[in-house]
Order: sequence, then C-alpha cells, then structure tokens
Amino acid sequence: MIEIRGLKKNYPLGKTTVHALRGIDLDINRGDLLSIVGPSGSGKTTLLNVIGCIDQASAGSVKVGGREVTTLKDKQITDLRLRKIGFIFQTFNLIPVLTALENVEFPLILAGKAGKAKAREKATELLKGVGLSDYLTHRPAELSGGQRQRVAIARALVTEPDIVLADEPTANLDSVTGASILDLMKEMNERLHTTFIFSTHDANVMKYAKSVVKIQDGVIAKD
Amino acid sequence: MGIIIKIAWRNIWRHKGKSLIVGSILFLGSLLMTVGTGVITGMDKGLQKSIVKSFSGDIVLVPQKQQDDNVFLSMTGSSVEPLPDFEQVEEILVQSDLVQSWLPIGKNTAMVLNDAGGSMDGVFLIGVDMEQYGSFFPDNLELVQGEFLKPGERGVMIATGAQKMLTTSMGIFFKPESTALDTTIMPEEARKMGQDLVVREQMVFMGFTSDNTSTDIRLPIRGLVKYKSLNTILGTFAIMDIESYRECMGYVSASNQLVEIPEQSKELLGLDESNLDALFAETSLLVEADREVEEARFRAAAATPEEIDLDAGTYNLVLVKLQEKVEQEEALRLLEADFKAAGVGVRPVIWHKSIGAIGSLSVLIKTSLFIFVMLLFVVAIVIIVNTLSMAALERTPEIGMMRAIGAQKGFIGGMFIAETFVLATFFGSIGIAAGWILVTILSALNLSTSNDMVQLLYGGDTFNPFLTAGDFLLAFIQLALVAVLAVIYPMIVARNITPLDAVSRE
Repeated sequence: MIEIRGLKKNYPLGKTTVHALRGIDLDINRGDLLSIVGPSGSGKTTLLNVIGCIDQASAGSVKVGGREVTTLKDKQITDLRLRKIGFIFQTFNLIPVLTALENVEFPLILAGKAGKAKAREKATELLKGVGLSDYLTHRPAELSGGQRQRVAIARALVTEPDIVLADEPTANLDSVTGASILDLMKEMNERLHTTFIFSTHDANVMKYAKSVVKIQDGVIAKD
Repeated sequence: MGIIIKIAWRNIWRHKGKSLIVGSILFLGSLLMTVGTGVITGMDKGLQKSIVKSFSGDIVLVPQKQQDDNVFLSMTGSSVEPLPDFEQVEEILVQSDLVQSWLPIGKNTAMVLNDAGGSMDGVFLIGVDMEQYGSFFPDNLELVQGEFLKPGERGVMIATGAQKMLTTSMGIFFKPESTALDTTIMPEEARKMGQDLVVREQMVFMGFTSDNTSTDIRLPIRGLVKYKSLNTILGTFAIMDIESYRECMGYVSASNQLVEIPEQSKELLGLDESNLDALFAETSLLVEADREVEEARFRAAAATPEEIDLDAGTYNLVLVKLQEKVEQEEALRLLEADFKAAGVGVRPVIWHKSIGAIGSLSVLIKTSLFIFVMLLFVVAIVIIVNTLSMAALERTPEIGMMRAIGAQKGFIGGMFIAETFVLATFFGSIGIAAGWILVTILSALNLSTSNDMVQLLYGGDTFNPFLTAGDFLLAFIQLALVAVLAVIYPMIVARNITPLDAVSRE
C-alpha cells in the first residue's frame, strides 16, 4: 500500500539545517491501523505529512498505491490527496462557514464523484455513522471538539480513500472523547478496511493500533 | 461553482468588518465615479449646447490653405483665408445625408480705429447674413441694449465682452445708436472714467487680411448683445452684416456688381506699377477717387437686399450642423473625402479644434475629471488589495485545510474572485444607484453661474450633470475592472497558501 525507502527531510533553519527525517524505510499494508509514536520533535508529523503529500521529501522514495509521489506536480498531488487520502487534523479541521453536512459533502463535490442528492445521502449516512445525526445543520462553531473530530472523520472517509492520516487526533480532546474518537477510527478501519495512520505521543492511544512505529530523532527506532 | 458562491457569500457575512470596509470603498468609489461621469457627460452636453449649437456648429469648413485649425479664437489674431468657391461647397453639403444645415460666415480680426485720437484695439469680427444667422443659431444671443441687426441692414452688434475690452483699451464706450447711457449695464471700467468717458454710437473698423486688402468702414452700432453661455470667452466678437464685413476685409462683395465706378476712379484702379508715381504726383486724384468709390459703395449698400445674391460674395468659413446621432469624427472623415474627391479647396475641422484653447481646455477639464476618478479607483484598489491580502493570510488554516483535502488552486482563486465580485456587485450597484440619484438631484437643482470658468466646467450657465445608458454600462465595466485588479494579488496570495503553511500555523 505504502512503500517508503530512504526518506529524508531537511529543513533549513537560518544558517543551519534541521534533519527531521534521516532515512526512513517503511512498508504499510492495506487495512492497517498504524500508530506512529515518538516524543515531540522526533519527526512523526513530518513523516505523516510526507506520506500525505502535504510536504515534499528531500531525498528518498514514497510510493502510495504503487505510485511514486515525490515527483508529482501540485495539481496531481492535490488530486491524489482528494481521491486517495483522507485527513484528520489536530485543530484546524473544518470549513467554518459550512454546516457539518456540507463539510462532509465538500470532498465529494470537489471530486465530482457523486450528484448533489447522492453526495448528501452519503454524507448524511456517514454522519449518522459517527453519531451526529442530530447535528447535520450545525456549523463547526456550534459543535464541541469531539463532535468536530467526528465530522472530520466522516469527511475523511466520504471519498472512500485508501488511507486516512490523523495527526494527533485526540491531542485537544479530553480522555473520554479521545477514546470515543479512537474507538470510532478502529471501528471504521475494521468495517471499511481503510488504512489508518495516526501519530501520537500518548501511550494510551497506542493500544488501539494494530501496529506501532516508533520514531526517534528522525529514524525508526522500533517497528 | 455553487459551492464557491456559497462559501464566498457566507464568508462575506462571517467577516462583516472587512466586508464592510471593502464594500464601503467600492460604494464610495462607484458613487464618485458615477457622479464624475455625470458631470463629464453633462459638461459634454452643455458644451455641445453652448458652443456647438450657439457658436461654431459641429464642424467648421475652412479653406484648404488655412494652416491653423483654430479659426475663431487665435490669440495671435492671424487672419482666416477666403473660402474658395462657396457654390461648390454648398453643392456637396446639399447632397450629404450627414448634414442638417450650414451657415457661411466671414470671420477675421479688425482694428477698431479711435477717432478721439487715443489707442486702437483689435476685435474679432463675424460677418453674417442675419436672416441665415438667426435661423442657424435661433437662441444664442441675448439683447442687452438697442436692437438686433435686421436682415439686409448695415451695421454691427457688439458683444458685451468686446465692449468692455474696448472701453478698457481705448477709453471709448461703444453703445448702440439712439440708446440712453445706461450706467446700470455699463462695465465698471466705463463708470470709473466719469467725465473722461468718450461715448460713440458708431465704430470704424479696419480689416486685417493676409494680403492686406482692407478698407476702413464706419458702421452704426445697432445692438449690444451677450452670448447666453460663455459670454466672456465668446463675447469678444462683433457681429456685422456680411456685406460690410466683405468691404472691411477688401473682399468681393455681392453688391460689387452694382457699384458703378466713375471713370476717374477706374483710371486710378487701372494704374499699373510703372505708373505708381502718378499716384503721388496727383494727390487730388487719389482723394477724389477714394471719396467717389466710397460714395458708390454706400449707394450700393442702399440697394434693396432682394437685388443682391449674398452668396455671390466671399466667405471665410462654413459652419455645419450635423444630423442627430451622426458621429462628428465619422462625419469629419466622410466630408473630408467628399471635398477631396470633388477637388474643392476646403477641409472640415471639428468644433473643439476651431475654438483653440477653449476646446482644449474643455478636453483638459474632462481629462482631469477622468484622471481624478481613475485616481480614486487606484486608491480604492490599493486599500482593497491590502484588506483582501490580509484576509487571505488570516485564513491560512482554512485555505490550507481546503488544499489538503483536495481543493485545487483554481478553487481557492475562484472563492476569492466570487467574494470580491459579490461585494463589488452589491456595494458597487448601490454606489452607482446613489450616484444616479445624486446626479438627478443636482440636475434638478438647476444650479447656475455667471462665472465663465465655472460655466466651462458646467458646460454652460447651468449645472446639468447627466448620465446616459452608455455611462451606466461604463460604470459597471469600470467596477468590474476595479474588482479584477483588486482581487489579483490577494488571489495569488491565497492560491500560494499550502497545506503545510496551515500545519505550520498550528
């Protein structure tokens, strides 16, 4: 599903260079529920960003579904993100002026995959699936943090992507809400066989993962 | 597209403060632009009325060999050439569908002689057949004192501007014959002179032409007139009957054929260069001959107008009024081709060029107003660009997230364009509507002025700003242009926001 070889990522910082990833080799299988763990600054978010084509590698190869993504142009990368990858971010996650239902519909409209009615039907179904059937017309500002993350999960899944990336999805949530979000991700992983990759530095979160990759100082410490 | 409009519309309401700032600028810009355009159009219309319909016509036909287009208000007082073959010119005008009417005139500068022994001064002369003049310009003059010159009558009408100028420069107050010395209509300069004021009811003109063929001519002042608009500029003219004008300029007059020159005078006129000495040898011959020619001319002048074909004499210019809705520039081009094809030695000149600096001044005022409106828009664009660019940067997380989940750069650009255009359409339309209301109110107030510079701005004595359908179309095009120019940079800023920028902001 995902094949990473010799991945390096360097950031220039003034006169010095920060080596965020120093050579990562990693294979992730379809249907996996992978947790990338490590302390702050270890490079887990950078790895997630490169896999999600949000950031570009300085060296090495990243293949998603057999396709090399490091050489793609912006338009192709954006299209890949739209059709193959779903995102759940830590804080910025929903379009503030759209309702929960419209937020979930949004990627489908961009992809032009479904008609208006079908998109609405699918979005409604997913929101029901994450327990938000009573909040379809609520805007993000009218939802709690946990509810927003549920909407984000529904939106990440609506295009039926191969991979869902979640960068510390429970970092800003209380433990009960965080647990329910992880339960939901696990359930979706089992039900839809979507590959979930999430980063965390919370040991409690790791127990939800089928596999765990530990990163330390930009290299895989334990696979 | 629907989702772009939806997001744009809701974002406008979400960022009410910024929307209001941008909207207010667009409103104000549109309002001022509409009013400015109304003033420009009103000025155009007013100038058309004041100058074209009261003084010059749309097009002036000038002799081909006349080099300067400014045939009316040349500051150097350079002479206007005689028009060759008016009958041929008339034939072409008769056949043209573009032309509504025409008026042949004489126009030159003459020196007003001072029989009181003081200094002399020049004045612009217009020679016309009053009957034709009255029907060509039925409502351009206002009688201040005396009477209008009657068709076929010998005499001159002096405009108040010329009267004032001559009073100052010559110390003579020219007033219409058999009228009272009315101090209430007397220029300040004349009142100041008190007992020293010399009053005359006749004027002696000495024409200026390029070939020095002129004669002194004494004419009674029939009336004191003023142009209804722009009198200080246009009112420096004296209008006289065409036959007197021709005599003054030494042109062939229509009554020349009726003059019976005495034998002695013929002898004098027949002198060739080799016999010029004889002219000085016999002084009595010159004086006698001159007196007899003069007497013969006045006898001819007394002939009934019906006996004279005025068009048989010389003119300098032909003023042409075009049919309604005929474009001046287009008519100019076509008439020029007609005259060229017919081999007639005249060329058409557009009205604003024929009045020299005044025409240029009106164009200058129009251009200034236009530049002012454009400057307003440049300022508006700068403010809008800044506001929208700031808004784009503030929305980095939202835009970055949209890009992360698959929105292409075009979508983000479209969103900004939609937001700006919704604002421009809404506030701009209100601005244009408010501008239209203001223009209508200003026009209804009928503000009037006697100040010539302000009259030039008004395009006449009354301020009548006016908007045409074309002006409204232009207003919306300008608004769209402003919106496009204002959104380009913020759109580039927004398009260049990456998902990583959004992540980095966390």
